[in-house]
Amino acid sequence: MSAAAGHALGLRGLTKRYGDFIAVNDVSLEIEQGEFVTLLGPSGSGKTTILMAIAGFVAPSEGAVLLDGRDITPLPPEKRNFGMVFQGYALFPHMTVAENVAFPLRVRGMSRADRDAKVRAALDLVQLAQFSGRLPKQLSGGQQQRVALARALVFDPSLLLLDEPLSALDKKLRAELQEELKALHRRVGRTFINVTHDQEEALSMSDRIAILNHGRLVQAGAPGELYERPRTRFVADFLGKSNFLEGTVRQPAPGGFMLEVGASRLAVAHGPGTAPSPGTRSLLSLRPEKISLLAEGEAAENQVEGRILSWAYLGAGFALRIATADLGELRAVLPSWKSPVAPAEDLPVRLGWSADAAVPVEEDAA
Amino acid sequence: MDGIYSPGAASRSLAWATAFYLVLPILIVVPVALTDQRYLSLPQDGISFRHFATVLSSPEWLGSIWQSFTIAVAATILSVTAGTLCAIGCWRISRRTTELVRVLMLLPLIIPSIVYAIGLYRYFGPLGLLDRFLGVVIAHGVTGIPYVVITVSTALAAFDPRLEQAARGMGASLSQTLRWVILPRIAPGIFSGAIFAFIHSWDELVMVLFIASRDVFTLPRRIWDGINENLDPAMAAVAVLLILFTLLLLLADRALRRRNEG
Repeated sequence: MSAAAGHALGLRGLTKRYGDFIAVNDVSLEIEQGEFVTLLGPSGSGKTTILMAIAGFVAPSEGAVLLDGRDITPLPPEKRNFGMVFQGYALFPHMTVAENVAFPLRVRGMSRADRDAKVRAALDLVQLAQFSGRLPKQLSGGQQQRVALARALVFDPSLLLLDEPLSALDKKLRAELQEELKALHRRVGRTFINVTHDQEEALSMSDRIAILNHGRLVQAGAPGELYERPRTRFVADFLGKSNFLEGTVRQPAPGGFMLEVGASRLAVAHGPGTAPSPGTRSLLSLRPEKISLLAEGEAAENQVEGRILSWAYLGAGFALRIATADLGELRAVLPSWKSPVAPAEDLPVRLGWSADAAVPVEEDAA
Repeated sequence: MDGIYSPGAASRSLAWATAFYLVLPILIVVPVALTDQRYLSLPQDGISFRHFATVLSSPEWLGSIWQSFTIAVAATILSVTAGTLCAIGCWRISRRTTELVRVLMLLPLIIPSIVYAIGLYRYFGPLGLLDRFLGVVIAHGVTGIPYVVITVSTALAAFDPRLEQAARGMGASLSQTLRWVILPRIAPGIFSGAIFAFIHSWDELVMVLFIASRDVFTLPRRIWDGINENLDPAMAAVAVLLILFTLLLLLADRALRRRNEG
């Protein structure tokens, strides 16, 4: 397998309508060569339709798909030379593992000797060489997934497309294969485009995530950037969990302002960028893990008193629901090994967070 | 299947009665074939295989068996090719019009074969297909299509369409996908259809009565004529051979299905 043969892919104003229903609405995205990009969204967000349009199975109503700047929109799937791992893998049940992997080479008319060498190399890549004579149904889910990967990579495709590649696996195996897939991406140096609804999978594997909702691209960026600086309420809510605080902007200053929520005033440091004008409404996203329980005499930039409504022990941490007077119900996640109090229902607590913990977000357009 | 609700005495006896009612007319032919008399009757002094010997040494009977067999084979090839392609086409395009096509394909099954036979007779004449091997093959082949369309459509309904997408995505052309992915997956359905199409041609009488007379003289035709002209128990012997042959085909179909499910 030749290394670093990645290709760049561009989507320009991609739109797909089914009658009155708009599955994909004016999506533009540039994917660099060698990048691992995940299209993330809930079901019905249009992510799979976009992948199918890239693969050539769905003809876009408007817009174009570009490979290294060349318009490939009218090309049928068999002319695109893209590798694809399907949901449920779509291995050919009547062929052995080796025959499955050899299939893309066979359709290209490659000689048997060349084919055998390539198949062996591809199966070695996914550590399945000893299973080459088996039928797919004789393999476990994780092994089938690796066969699908080998089959998608064996013919040196320009891109690798992955449609929910891990969704059929149990949780532990999924975590293992996430790491494997990432390592494989580094080894083969190809452009990977992955579709998933699993935010954890997207965060752990991708160089960049594109978040979709109702057919629109809401935000694209590196996982950390999206998590720490979500642009809208949807992004903050879908990628991880979030509390939302809505109030009126007071005392804007460079890099920060005060948010008035009921009788409380919260300090917000939003970093570089223009501050919102005073008197306007603003929405903050506050991650549960950025809230801490304050011990006696401990202080924080923002403090609020409340009462524990309910709590759950999660092993690594406690998940708390806390009722407050001005901010409504807040969710907090604390590391269990350094919780200052033992949680109990109705226990009065003091919550605190720093000024840069909360991030202003926009409401999503309906 | 322990622990599942078991039927009461009434439904059990009704089921047996129904089965018996279905099988009885077929079974009655067996003792008649083994009769020691020279006319169509039950054995009187003992059983005898001489009527089987008559059939298997008579050039007329053997000729008709061979003719029926070759017609059935050729008609099956025609039914399987047309029926499979039609079923795959309808499945791939899958619009409302293809539903119509599928219903149209079932017409030979719905329309009484005597109506069909009259129609065939009308236009086979000018085409010079009356009393020709080719004419009977076409008639049987076309009326055998529904069996293939039904079994292949059923097999395709269980076919994962992502396999086709996967094949296309990996660069396979339509014909490569058909040959290497779709056909191997639906082969059991095609084979079942072939068996039914074969049996359909093998025992078809009504159309043959209309479109064939002297040169083409199939096995059912010879039995029919035999019953009309003389009451030779050789017919019962032929009937037994027919039943055994058909049974063999159905068992082959069953065995094949079981192997594919297992």
